[in-house]
Amino acid sequence: MAGTPTETQATRMLVVATLLCSYPGIDATGQAHMEYPPNTYVIPTPDPVMFPESFYLHCFEKGIDGILIASCGTDSPYEGSYEQLAARIPKVYAQMKARGISIRRLKLTAICSVCTKAFLKEVSDMEAVMAELGPVSGEMTAVTA
Amino acid sequence: MAERRSKPKNQAATTAAAPATPPEVVLPVLAEKVGVYICHCGGNISDVVDVDKVATEAAGLDGVAVARHIMFMCSDEGQKAIVDDIQALGLDRVVVAACTPKLHEATFRRVLQRGGMNPYLFLPANIREQASWAHPHSPKAATEKASALVRAAVAKAQMLEPLEKVRVAAVHRALVIGGGVAGLRAALDLARQGLGVTLVEKSPFLGGRTTQLHTVFPTEDPARLLVHRLIAEVKAQPNLTILTETEVVALTGYVGDFTVTLKTTPRGVNAELADRQAAIAACPISVANEFDDGISKRRAIYQPYPGSEPDLPAIDWASCTRCGDCVTAAGGRGIDLKSDPIETTIETGAIVVATGFDHYEPRVGEYGYATSPRILTLPQVHRMLDPEGPTGGRLEIDGRVPRSIAMIHCVGSRQIEDVDEPGPDGKLHEYCSRVCCTATLQAANQIRQKYPKTAVYDLYRDIRTYGRDQEPYYVDASKAGVVFMRFANDARPTVELSDGADFPLKVTVTDTLTFGTEIEVPVDLVILSVGVMPRDVTGLIEMTHAPVGADGFLLEVHPKLRPVESAIPGLLLAGTVQAPMDVTESTSAASAAAAKVTALLAGDHVEMEPFVAKVDPSLCDGCGLCLDACRYAGAIAMQEVEIEEGVLEKRAYVNPVACKGCGACVPSCPVSALDVAGWEIDQYKAMIDAITAEPLTAGARS
Ligand code: SF4
Ligand code: SF4
Ligand code: SF4
Repeated sequence: MAGTPTETQATRMLVVATLLCSYPGIDATGQAHMEYPPNTYVIPTPDPVMFPESFYLHCFEKGIDGILIASCGTDSPYEGSYEQLAARIPKVYAQMKARGISIRRLKLTAICSVCTKAFLKEVSDMEAVMAELGPVSGEMTAVTA
Repeated sequence: MAERRSKPKNQAATTAAAPATPPEVVLPVLAEKVGVYICHCGGNISDVVDVDKVATEAAGLDGVAVARHIMFMCSDEGQKAIVDDIQALGLDRVVVAACTPKLHEATFRRVLQRGGMNPYLFLPANIREQASWAHPHSPKAATEKASALVRAAVAKAQMLEPLEKVRVAAVHRALVIGGGVAGLRAALDLARQGLGVTLVEKSPFLGGRTTQLHTVFPTEDPARLLVHRLIAEVKAQPNLTILTETEVVALTGYVGDFTVTLKTTPRGVNAELADRQAAIAACPISVANEFDDGISKRRAIYQPYPGSEPDLPAIDWASCTRCGDCVTAAGGRGIDLKSDPIETTIETGAIVVATGFDHYEPRVGEYGYATSPRILTLPQVHRMLDPEGPTGGRLEIDGRVPRSIAMIHCVGSRQIEDVDEPGPDGKLHEYCSRVCCTATLQAANQIRQKYPKTAVYDLYRDIRTYGRDQEPYYVDASKAGVVFMRFANDARPTVELSDGADFPLKVTVTDTLTFGTEIEVPVDLVILSVGVMPRDVTGLIEMTHAPVGADGFLLEVHPKLRPVESAIPGLLLAGTVQAPMDVTESTSAASAAAAKVTALLAGDHVEMEPFVAKVDPSLCDGCGLCLDACRYAGAIAMQEVEIEEGVLEKRAYVNPVACKGCGACVPSCPVSALDVAGWEIDQYKAMIDAITAEPLTAGARS
């Protein structure tokens, strides 16, 4: 078990998963009945390179408290897309900082189609970050207030 | 009808058709007759998730016309329920919450088609692998999550638009690049299926590296006989063209219709050459013979072995000085020293890349390599053990059979940072080369059989005789008295020259089989079992944009879900261009690639999924930034569009055949005019809104 949400916790984690790498890897985690917290929502994508900075901000604004980008890493089937994705993350971080959002709430990782343990570890790490920081709404309010 | 959440999008603008006038903006709408089906999966889901609750909540969502829970959605009963509802209720979107879409997405798309709907108006919600199975001890939380996933799927489904597969007229011809064993196998399989085939080989001779071996494991077939049997079958195909000394120099187009420019260098020799021996002997040039991995010399006019295919010498233009001595010796017939290449263009529907591999070449001094003629690589020893090789099959150094030999595994393979230095290419080769363990043991057995008085020491990290009928090589080596010593992952044996000593070389190894004893082995010969390296095919990679792995081999899309397919539609991978493989595996991969090409080009058209980029011309202002973001030639370009009568402006347009649907262009657009069909950013935002629409109540493992 990668982590256990507490009774009081009401945080949500979003996992952006690639159709060819991490999505089957996350399926394999479930197939093996390896548990992780249920407040984890997986959305599939051909490649997370498609998301503009504003998408991540939208997620935080709506109450997503942590985002894992489970990319294919350098094994991406699309030429150069991982490098393009990695180059965008600092820009997202800059916008997060401007909104008072801890950049620890967004992490770019590479998860393959058999990476069950790596997935659990990343979820567990992000779960710990969310537990420590609490809901993102608190942070955003603090800055905008 | 409910108001649509997204900005308007124009589907017609996604095609590569001629410039169109901007269409009238139609007020967007959300679908309002969504059918939602929750699967029990016979208890796999419903033992954890309260499917009745999920269905009841779904029924209350805006736009949902019906929500049901059914024992097995993939069963006839489940499929019929959808078709019946489509027809009775006029459903306009369908959501099935069940197992992973990897299993039944295609099934449910077909169900929609049977019901008369566009298949792309279906959306899955994964509540088995990603809910009931992942949270079996948290039924309340799993139910809450399943409901959230259904809400998200409904929200996205409401915004889905009908899509059509992308269709391209198919050229019924395949190009195979590489005339080694994998390329030959692929070409033969393709030709037998009735496709036209062009097989190009860069070197003057067919057969590739397999022809350098005497026998191949595990069958011990004579290697050249095997290859020549294959070549004879290839040559017998009426619809197959073989071009040696030919390279691909330009490539445009896309699956179904590539245009490829080939450059063919003349052979310099033709069938009129009467006395080839005399012509070869007359050549004053002497260069290292690559066929013998550098242990022999050849002339500039040469033939690697008698009976090579073609059975004619060729001129190596890089070393030939055009002195004309061979022409004179040949009596002026059969040799032409004009070497100007010719270019031809062919159309092909698909391409099989079978360009093979290179052997690792150790650094000077790596295990003593290149500091003594007594330190050889395994491929060099293969040539010496070949009865038709440069030594007539004798393994002799300075005219004497070695009394004692050390064979070292994993040279240039499984390299570890801080333990191994990078190879001459500046890279660490971290992967296992897979074939060298068995090849080393095969050679060890041959040596012990041929020279029973020669001691053979096998220094290994792990023995990986992984394939069928390969383990007997290890058993036989043990029985034949080969002495095994094992070194640890972080410790390498050393090789030193011992001048004046009885044995000219000293190998020192810390042997973990004897609990870390440091053993000095005096030997006459060291054989380095060198690994398999990716061949440099930079030109081809630049032309095709085929993705390359961190290890330098070309990547298949997925080893299990889409083996031998590169991410470039119509570009298939055969053999060691994709990973280290033995001859058996290479030919299997080649046959797989040929089968996929045959299926691809079976009809008049090639059909591809419609998930490609689309431009909204009413938003695009023609800035051109998206062109820089796209790595694929011809996928996105600018074209003139008549925005009002007589006013032409540039707008981006996507060629759906060349677009890979990666979405790299999407965030580059400052006015959000781009999306990938089926994976639109507004659809994602709607999913996020739906997931977060309800407060979490279960939270804990309850
Ligand atoms: S096959 Fe054997 S020798 Fe070759 S790299 Fe793998 S372990 Fe090493
Ligand atoms: S970046 Fe990707 S999605 Fe966009 S046009 Fe190019 S290939 Fe298509
Ligand atoms: S980046 Fe956007 S606005 Fe600019 S040309 Fe491309 S689609 Fe049009």
